[in-house]
Amino acid sequence: MNYKDYIKWERMPTNWCPGCAIGTVFKQTAFALADMDLAASDMTVVSGIGCSGRAAGYFNVDSVHVTHGRALPVAEGIKRANPKLKVIVFSGDGDLVGIGGNHLIHAARRDVDLAVICINNATYGMTGGQMAPTTPTGAKTLTSPHGSSYAPINIQGLITSNRRHWFARASAFHVAHLQRTIREAVEWPGFAFVEVMAFCVENFGRRLGFKSGHEMLVNLKEGFKPRSGPEGPLGPLELGVVKHDDQAS
Amino acid sequence: MGNEAVACGALKAGMTFFAAYPITPASEIMHELAEHEPEIAFVHAEDEIASIHMAIGASLAGRKAMTSTSGPGMSLKQEGLGLAHMMEVPLVVVDVQRVGPSTGMPTLPAQGDILQAAHGSHGDYVPLVLYPSSVEECYRTTIAAFNAAEDSRSPVILLLDGYLGHLQETVDLDAISVEVRPRTLAPLGEGRRHFTGLLAKDGVPKTKDTAYYREWYARLKAKMLETAARYRLYEYHRNPASRLLVVAYGITHRVITPLRGTYSLFKPVRMFPVLEDELRAAADEHDRIVVVEMNDGQYRGEVQKALKRDVLGISLLGGTVSLNEIRERLREL
Repeated sequence: MNYKDYIKWERMPTNWCPGCAIGTVFKQTAFALADMDLAASDMTVVSGIGCSGRAAGYFNVDSVHVTHGRALPVAEGIKRANPKLKVIVFSGDGDLVGIGGNHLIHAARRDVDLAVICINNATYGMTGGQMAPTTPTGAKTLTSPHGSSYAPINIQGLITSNRRHWFARASAFHVAHLQRTIREAVEWPGFAFVEVMAFCVENFGRRLGFKSGHEMLVNLKEGFKPRSGPEGPLGPLELGVVKHDDQAS
Repeated sequence: MGNEAVACGALKAGMTFFAAYPITPASEIMHELAEHEPEIAFVHAEDEIASIHMAIGASLAGRKAMTSTSGPGMSLKQEGLGLAHMMEVPLVVVDVQRVGPSTGMPTLPAQGDILQAAHGSHGDYVPLVLYPSSVEECYRTTIAAFNAAEDSRSPVILLLDGYLGHLQETVDLDAISVEVRPRTLAPLGEGRRHFTGLLAKDGVPKTKDTAYYREWYARLKAKMLETAARYRLYEYHRNPASRLLVVAYGITHRVITPLRGTYSLFKPVRMFPVLEDELRAAADEHDRIVVVEMNDGQYRGEVQKALKRDVLGISLLGGTVSLNEIRERLREL
C-alpha cells in the first residue's frame, strides 16, 4: 500500500502550525504503516488531548480521540477486546507522561501490546505553552516565568525499569531512523514506547529564542545523534532502541 | 448477594469485558467476574479512571463492557461517562453507594449518589439510571441496563447501595427468562470512522458551530428519551385507604414494604429520566407525597420538579435504615 492510503485527505490541512514537527512524525508513521502493508481493518489509532492528539482523526482508519491522558487505557481496552488489531497510540508528552502518567507506568508494567508514539515537544503547546514534565530545567514558560526549577522526567528510566521492555528515542529531523523505529515499535510484541524529540515553534520555540521551525529542526539535527556504540541506556542526546526480551530471567 | 447477581446478570447479558478497581462495598462484583477469565477479558486496572476508559475501548472494539465502583470511584468515572455520552458508546457503570462525601463511612450503605449519577459529568446530557431493590431485581436490572445501553448507544448507570450489594437472598436464575439485545455498534476495524470527545459531524470536529451543537443535542436527547420510554420500570402498590403516597427506591423501598397495608408505595426502578407520567398518575390519587431516602433529599427535589407540587421528605442519614424509624417519622408527618 501507498502511504497516501493511510491519510484522510479530506481532513487536510491539519490544525498544526506552519513549521510544526508533528506533521513530519505523522507522515513518517504513514510511511511505516505502508511499509508494513497494514490493512485498515487490522489496525486502529488512539490519541489523547493536545496538538498531537489531533493525529488520530487524520489517519484513514477507524480511530479514537479520547479525553486528556486516557489514550493508553482506551487503547488497552481495545487490545484486550480484539488482540488481532494493531493498536497505535499517537499523542504528546503532556498527555501520555503528564496527566496520563499513572496509566503509562501500569500499561508498561502489564506489557500491553501497544505501539506508543509520543511527540515530545517539552511543553503544553495547544494551551499556550505551559511547563510540562519534560520541560528542561531553567526553561521559561507561562507557568514557570522565572525558569523551571524541576528536572525533566526520565521516560527511558521509567519504561526500562520493567524487566521486559522496549523503549526508543527518535527525532523529527532524523526521518529515516524515525520511520524504521516506528515500524519496529509496531512489530514489537509488547509495550513499545517511542519518544520522538520534537518542538513547538509557536508557543515554546520563540520563548527559547528560535525564529522558525527550521531553526528548531537544525537544533535537533545538531543536538541528537543515532547511537552507533554498544547497547545499554541511551545518553540524553542519543537516538536508538533499548530493549530487553528475556521473559525467563 | 446483590453484587453477585449483578455479575451473573452481566454475564447473561453477554458482557465479555470487565475492568474495575477494588472498592468497598462493590468489590464482590470484581471477585465474581475474575473467576470467569478467560471466557471474559478481565482487567484489574490501576485506577477508576483507567477502568472506565478501558471499558470504553473494549466497547468500541466490539465487546459488551462494564465497570463497577462505589461513590469515591464514581467521582473519578465522571470523565469517562461524559466521553461515552459524547462518542455514543454502549457501556454499563455500576455504583454500589456508601456514605460520603469523600472516604466517608466506607462500610455503611447510602443513597447519596443520586444526583451525581444524573449530572456528575460536565455539560448537558440525558442520563439513564436504573436502581433495583432486591437480589433478583439486581439480576434483571443489570440485563435491562445492558439492553438499554445497546438501544441508546450510551452509558447506563446501575445504582445499588452497600446494603443491597451485600444482601443475601436465594434466587433461581434459571427460572428467570430475559431478553438480550445484540450489539448495535460495528467494532473498530470495520470502517474509516473517527470517534472523538469533541463535538463532531461524521467524524469531523465542529467545535465552533453553535447551530450544529443545537441540532446534535436535540438528536441526542430524542434518542435517550426514546430509549428511556422502553424502560418504564417501576412498581406501584395503591392502598385505597391511604391519602399519603410514599416514594422510595433501592434498599429503602425494600425496608418499607411491610407498610403496604398502611400507605400507598411507589418504587421507581428507572430513576432517570424521572418517570414523570407514572409518578403524576400515582400522585394525583393522593393528598400528600413523601420521599424516603438515605440522603438529604436528592430525589425528593427531582420528584417535586417533575410533579410541580410540594413533596415531603424523610432523610435517613449516616448509614442506617430501620423500619421502626421510618414508621415513626411517617406518623409524625
